[in-house]
Amino acid sequence: MKPAVAAASLLAFALLPWIASTYVISLAFALFLTAALAQSYDWVGGHLGYMNLGHAAFFGIGAYAFGIIFARGGGLPLAWGAAVLLPVVAALLMSYPFFRLRGAYFALATFGLVALLERLASNLAGLTRGSEGLTIPTGYRLYPAYYILLILCAALTLATWRLSRSRLGLALVAIREDEDAVGAYGVAPFRFKCGTLTVSAAVAGLVGAVYTWQITYITPGDIFSLEKAVGPVVIAMIGGSGTVLGPLVGALLIETIREMLRLKTQYLALTVYGVMLILVGLFIPGGLMRLRRRAAHGQS
Amino acid sequence: MEVLLQLLIGGILQGGIYALGAFGLSLIFGVLRVLNVAHGDFLILGAYATFVLYSTLGLSPFVGLVLVFPAFVLIGILVERTMIRPIRAQTAHEFLVASILITLGISLAVEDLLAFSMVQPVKGIDYSLAPFRLGGLVISTLRLLSLGLIVLLSLGLHVFLQATLQGKAIRAVIEDREGAMLAGINVLAVSRNTFGLGVALTSAAGVFFISIIPVEPHMGLPLTLKYLSIIVLGGIGNLPGTLLGAVILGCSESLVGFWWGAEWSLTVAFVILIAILLLKPRGLFG
Repeated sequence: MKPAVAAASLLAFALLPWIASTYVISLAFALFLTAALAQSYDWVGGHLGYMNLGHAAFFGIGAYAFGIIFARGGGLPLAWGAAVLLPVVAALLMSYPFFRLRGAYFALATFGLVALLERLASNLAGLTRGSEGLTIPTGYRLYPAYYILLILCAALTLATWRLSRSRLGLALVAIREDEDAVGAYGVAPFRFKCGTLTVSAAVAGLVGAVYTWQITYITPGDIFSLEKAVGPVVIAMIGGSGTVLGPLVGALLIETIREMLRLKTQYLALTVYGVMLILVGLFIPGGLMRLRRRAAHGQS
Repeated sequence: MEVLLQLLIGGILQGGIYALGAFGLSLIFGVLRVLNVAHGDFLILGAYATFVLYSTLGLSPFVGLVLVFPAFVLIGILVERTMIRPIRAQTAHEFLVASILITLGISLAVEDLLAFSMVQPVKGIDYSLAPFRLGGLVISTLRLLSLGLIVLLSLGLHVFLQATLQGKAIRAVIEDREGAMLAGINVLAVSRNTFGLGVALTSAAGVFFISIIPVEPHMGLPLTLKYLSIIVLGGIGNLPGTLLGAVILGCSESLVGFWWGAEWSLTVAFVILIAILLLKPRGLFG
């Protein structure tokens, strides 16, 4: 039944542009963006168990690499390529120092990475136009961008599903549960950690490039904002970090709430967000997907 | 040369202010295994409390300190009881994740509410004392007094941890949680008190902060990041190391700020953090 549901929803989303208004499509675009970031984050955060608060840094590097090259007439292939390759290089470079840290230290150090890039993007005004913001030539790109992200989300979910059933996925979960034990069994955790982070960074960079391509105007304060940094983590947590569908469920929930908040109130959106984090942390730290499983266990 | 001395004095004072908050973060992490992401925000809250006391009651910051410190001990205890203790039963990974989510939520809510409730978010205090001169050096009395009080507080904390029963219990729990339990230490009570103490220490840092530099709500998270670099530098629960780390950070910021501009100060903290991680992953004294 499950493949049928997946195929049906994929088909529905593929046909959506023929029925729905531009408003709905742009909402769906935002939803896919969030979901793709959350899903790619969760390979490191949920399966590997390293809470990477710096996922937005890869997103931002991709967004800026694409924007800078495209704005200077570098051509699309080069811009897309750079948006994927530069985050990969960044991930490879940071693997060595950062994976010496564990737990909370890793989380906060990667969070610092976002703050650092925000400063760099503001201060290196010659390259990024600083806080003024970077503009690229506009064009009507909502529909192609929508389809790119739809395909990406579908591919990521399929990949995550395969991962959760593979030896590789097992290795990641083993590292999450007890890294020293994995090392003692003669498996080098570093290669898995570095590899996972690199793949996750490449996806985040690609999503960043799609973002710049569609939005056409980016600023350091927007790209490296607190919300973008925390977003993927929170969304994966709410849905169920380390589950296949958790990030998708979380993205759907958060995007709905965010849109409702935006319609209702201009102020205190971050406060509501913060209170929501506290409640999730207190009551459903395993996420919604695990809640269902727990209920099922309780019945049987 | 005089400029350099001036900068170093400023850096040492800034380092002292950092150290107070970093002690708190380090103790909380050591005892509770919680990385308090909202730590910097308690500094901002302490600073705002000082501002309110100064602007409504006319209390000088140093008198304000006497009120702010115990008030934040209570706030810290309250936060621990309502939000940290209920998640204790989780497994290690879930506890880590939940504690980061919760403290991050506190941080977001506090910053947003402060920015919302204050019409002009940037707050400073025009409290000043006549400076005095030492040869060619101009030294601000206010800063010197602050530095003196910070040194006193640090010494007090040191004595508390070394000599009192409660302080020894804190060190014991940092050292070995299960061992401490076996020895009859009430780990729950120690956790609660440590959280109160840690939050109060950073709020005290806020009192000094606002008497020197204006604060605004969104300084909280960057401050927490700086605290993190400091405790990575100095080692968890190591007070002299933390102090040295804080002074190193304060001085390098002060020098970099003078030559390249204050907007690079967070970058400095981060570069130091990475360098330490590469060279000595267990901290300078680990």
